[in-house]
Amino acid sequence: MDKFSFKDVLVTFVGLFITTFIGWILITATGNNPSEVAKYLYEGGFKGTRNIANSLYQATPLILTATATLISFRVGMFNIGINGSMYVGALYAGWAGYRFTNLGHFSHVSLCILIGMTVGALWMLLPALLRVYAGVSEIISTIILNFVAILFVSYMANGPFRADPIAPATARILETAELKQIFPNSQFSTGFFIAVFVALVAHFVLNKTTFGYELRSGGDGLVGRYPSRFSSYLGIPSDRSAITGMLISGAIGGLAGAIEVLGAVRYFFQELEFNQGFDGILIGILGKLEPIGAIIASLFYGAIKNGGFFVDYKTDVAREIIVVLISVLIFFVSAQKIVKGLEKYPIIKKLDSFFSRKKM
Amino acid sequence: MNKDSAIHLKNITKAYPGVIANKNVDFQVNKGEIHALVGENGAGKSTLMKILYGIEQPDEGEIFINGTTQIINKVETAINLGIGMVHQEFTLVPSFTAPENIGLGEEPKNSRGLIDWKSLNKMVVDIAEKYGFKIDPGLKMIDASVGVQQRTEILKTLYRNANILILDEPTAVLTPQETDELFNVIRTLVDEGKTVIFITHKLREVMAIADRVTVMRAGEVQGVSETKDTSITELASQMVGREVFLQVTKDTANPKEEILNVENLWVHDARGLIAVKGVDLNIRKGEIVGIAGVEGNGQSELVEALTGLRRASKGAIMYLGEDISSSTPKNIRRKKVAHIPEDRTNTGLNTQLSIWENLIGNSYFRNPLSSRGIFNLKKVAKHANRLKEDFDIRSPSVSLKVKSLSGGNQQKVVVARELSEDPILTIASQPTRGVDIGNIEAIHEQLVQMRDDGGAVLLVSAELDEVMAVADRVGVMYEGQIVKWVNPKEVDQSQMGLYMAGVTD
Amino acid sequence: MEWIEIFDISLLRSLLRSTAPIAIVGMAAAICSAAGVLNIGLEGKMLNAAFAGVAVSYYTESMWAGLAAGLIAGMLTAVLFGLLSFTLGADEVLAGLAINIFSLAGTTYLMRTLWGQAGFFSDPRIVGVEPIHFTFLEGSFLEPFLSDFTYSVYLMFFIAIGLHIVYYRTRFGTAIRATGENPEAAEDAGINTVRIKWLVTVFAGMLAGISGLFLSLENLTMFTEGMSAGKGFIGLVASSFGNSTPLGTFGAATFFGLGDAIGIRLQGVYELDSRLILMIPYALTVVVLILIGIRQRLKVRPVAIPET
Repeated sequence: MDKFSFKDVLVTFVGLFITTFIGWILITATGNNPSEVAKYLYEGGFKGTRNIANSLYQATPLILTATATLISFRVGMFNIGINGSMYVGALYAGWAGYRFTNLGHFSHVSLCILIGMTVGALWMLLPALLRVYAGVSEIISTIILNFVAILFVSYMANGPFRADPIAPATARILETAELKQIFPNSQFSTGFFIAVFVALVAHFVLNKTTFGYELRSGGDGLVGRYPSRFSSYLGIPSDRSAITGMLISGAIGGLAGAIEVLGAVRYFFQELEFNQGFDGILIGILGKLEPIGAIIASLFYGAIKNGGFFVDYKTDVAREIIVVLISVLIFFVSAQKIVKGLEKYPIIKKLDSFFSRKKM
Repeated sequence: MNKDSAIHLKNITKAYPGVIANKNVDFQVNKGEIHALVGENGAGKSTLMKILYGIEQPDEGEIFINGTTQIINKVETAINLGIGMVHQEFTLVPSFTAPENIGLGEEPKNSRGLIDWKSLNKMVVDIAEKYGFKIDPGLKMIDASVGVQQRTEILKTLYRNANILILDEPTAVLTPQETDELFNVIRTLVDEGKTVIFITHKLREVMAIADRVTVMRAGEVQGVSETKDTSITELASQMVGREVFLQVTKDTANPKEEILNVENLWVHDARGLIAVKGVDLNIRKGEIVGIAGVEGNGQSELVEALTGLRRASKGAIMYLGEDISSSTPKNIRRKKVAHIPEDRTNTGLNTQLSIWENLIGNSYFRNPLSSRGIFNLKKVAKHANRLKEDFDIRSPSVSLKVKSLSGGNQQKVVVARELSEDPILTIASQPTRGVDIGNIEAIHEQLVQMRDDGGAVLLVSAELDEVMAVADRVGVMYEGQIVKWVNPKEVDQSQMGLYMAGVTD
Repeated sequence: MEWIEIFDISLLRSLLRSTAPIAIVGMAAAICSAAGVLNIGLEGKMLNAAFAGVAVSYYTESMWAGLAAGLIAGMLTAVLFGLLSFTLGADEVLAGLAINIFSLAGTTYLMRTLWGQAGFFSDPRIVGVEPIHFTFLEGSFLEPFLSDFTYSVYLMFFIAIGLHIVYYRTRFGTAIRATGENPEAAEDAGINTVRIKWLVTVFAGMLAGISGLFLSLENLTMFTEGMSAGKGFIGLVASSFGNSTPLGTFGAATFFGLGDAIGIRLQGVYELDSRLILMIPYALTVVVLILIGIRQRLKVRPVAIPET
């Protein structure tokens, strides 16, 4: 795939450089020491077993939400509602975690995950149908549903699912529903492996199966557009592809939420905050809409996110700076004219074609 | 220099990469005359007018307006010189009324700085009346008939004080009645001292309305005459007659049983207008049936109906005994119908995908390319590379995105895909558009090979040469109907020109 | 208490207050849509303005400085959007989305880093906007309807009417509408469509700024993380329902405001969970989206085939 052309990679690196520079400014401007921040950032992300484990833990939901979002994009739907799927998936996985007793470990976990994924998928059904049959912009419908999701799960945690008289939270999930935490003092769980596995499966399905081919045939640009005449012309029903793609995305988003609850927090409570859905969009774009790219970008982002927590703990700099910097990176990477402008330099063209002489 | 000369384009040459659009063109229009500029698609008429209107600049040559040399490098300059152009595709804002469109950018203001709609409306109605037609100032363009829209476009030019009006294929979208109304307007314009240039391929209209006519062909002027001194036949031969340089060696056709029978087909276009008005045609195995005609006469919609991309509104399409008029593209493809579409970039290809991904569009589900839903990428690569060689697709690798290919090579990808799965019926629409000579020959040979191997081909093309050389029998399509069936060996080019212009007797 | 009794003066006042932020940002969305710019980034502009208003008001203890800062913040964010989309060729939707994420994280970051506060920031030093009391209305019948609102409530009417006049009675207005509907026709008429898009975007940034300031300096005097809470999107839907016209958007925004206001009252009456009530505007949005979709489908009608 020549998505990872030399030009694109170059732009990403230059972007990283500029972003670091902006970070430098932001930190200094708020009266903090940038080198100190950099040091803690690195330590928090990479130094020590516990930090590494936590970095991987942070990466886990990102891998999934990025994969979920990129699947929607590649089918031609601009879906930004994976966050919502994550919330409802988490809630219901948590519910299934305490609701069903007398189940073996494997079956209980599977059941919870299945329920989380189903709910997540259903959450995407309405926007998909609205777009395909009523032409309603999925951008707006998915964003609105994000807000609805947050309110809905909050209500449920406070009301019908509430188990604790003091805190607005559901009951803790049973041990049989837990995803085991391997390292002490870290919320890293076996969920990480599930996430990587799902991303790899997504990579396989998208790129190596006829099903994936059919899904992609209409879109597959960076920001794909539904509907597609090429699909219809080939006889591939593009409306079915679009809906299926959205449902799969929702399922993976729900899985992200389920893993969070089953592996880390172990019960669902009102203040649970998932912004990984939005971060997932950015990661998906950075990873050039490929699941493998999403894995790499997630690992990177998980590390600096964890580093950000450490920075937050040790200095006055808030951890949100990481998200700020990533969005600046996205600004840079999305400015197409910069990428196109680079083509004017012959050396870039040469390096570009050198790297894209291909394998088939 | 003729003192009565309104426009003189002298010795104009303009070249684009790969084609000379205008070659030493000399074009002269007198004041107060209606001058027709005639030629087929690609003859160079639009380029010439774009030069006059400031959209393009000539490589060589001079422009004289009312006797004085001018350099027109901006549309604004042309407008200031009194030149107004009504394009073939209207540039109107749909939700605006006629006055709103006409005054756009230059609306009159009242003392408080707000737009004075009342006086604008009045001005527009007055101008219209002066030139002999009525305009409803409250009607939005989206609700207006095409004739009204066109008159609004004309008013736009008049509002900006145009003295020379260029009308590009104005009757292409009009009914016969609306055409008559337009002609009355043109006559009044001229009576009031305006000069009108009328670009068209419809020779009957030229004879009806124009004073003089310039015929262009392949970028050069073929002839300038007064309409009273010439005839439709003469104009047609000037327009179309050229050395046939595309020879296709082929044996005589040996058609077998009928596989496609279209009966009284009616199809609407995207705007809701009727594009195909009761077409009958049939195709047999072992023959190439051609559909000739200038684009825009319903051919696209006919092809879309045959391939399932558009629902037929009335009539039957019997293919191998079944009515496929409401079948899906998937089912039609399953029945071994191949389709080389006229729009290759959006319909025939997904330019964001790689070459191999485009090549397997009609075969990806088969063994050995995939089995049980999983691709065997080695076999896919082998298949793709074989097609690449067989159809001479020039590219370093089949992994590259299709958008990196030239137009001709992109078309080869489409042709390779469609012709490689042993279709029974191949529908090819403008198959060699944008393709260079050497490859045109190859595609023609492939189509003839399809026929000789027992298949059937429907070739729809606006390139008359192509249709005449490749097809065994040709139907001429004009305004949604097939007006004449001919045997290409028995008709000459100028005769065809007449038929394509709607003249059947 | 009978449910019908909630329809009283207090509801009307609540309605106006709920409508104001949505109407103003809705009209920002409307002029952008009218010019053909899909501006998803309004949320970000609102947040930045809300934050800037609170921050500057806090440091300078001046309401005017806060308001000015908010407006500038909104406009600067709009300039960023314009640069990314028009000058640098980024996809409009992507740029808007990235700006939203940037603003959400950025304002939260600043709040936590500058003041060490999480969740929300409130301080007596922040000077908010006081409701305007019209002495001449005192004691009159109109007083409960018209007096003692903060300035935005009055402003939204003027904006709606003002924009309406600009839309239909000025050259700028027709230029905007032409640019949005058929840029070729606009260019043909000599209109510089890029300049129009820039002007519209920056102006929308200012309006979004006013809307954001309403949330942080008028309604309450504090900044909450993510306080725009989707109002920018609801405004977008309102403008879509109102066909990108100022009055239509205003009407649609009132509809959403009504839902909001009724919800708040119902909460008192029936002791419904506050979250369900809060869901009402969003649920309404989805309903409106569906209605828009259906309306679209009913538009194309084919010509009849003559009977032979």
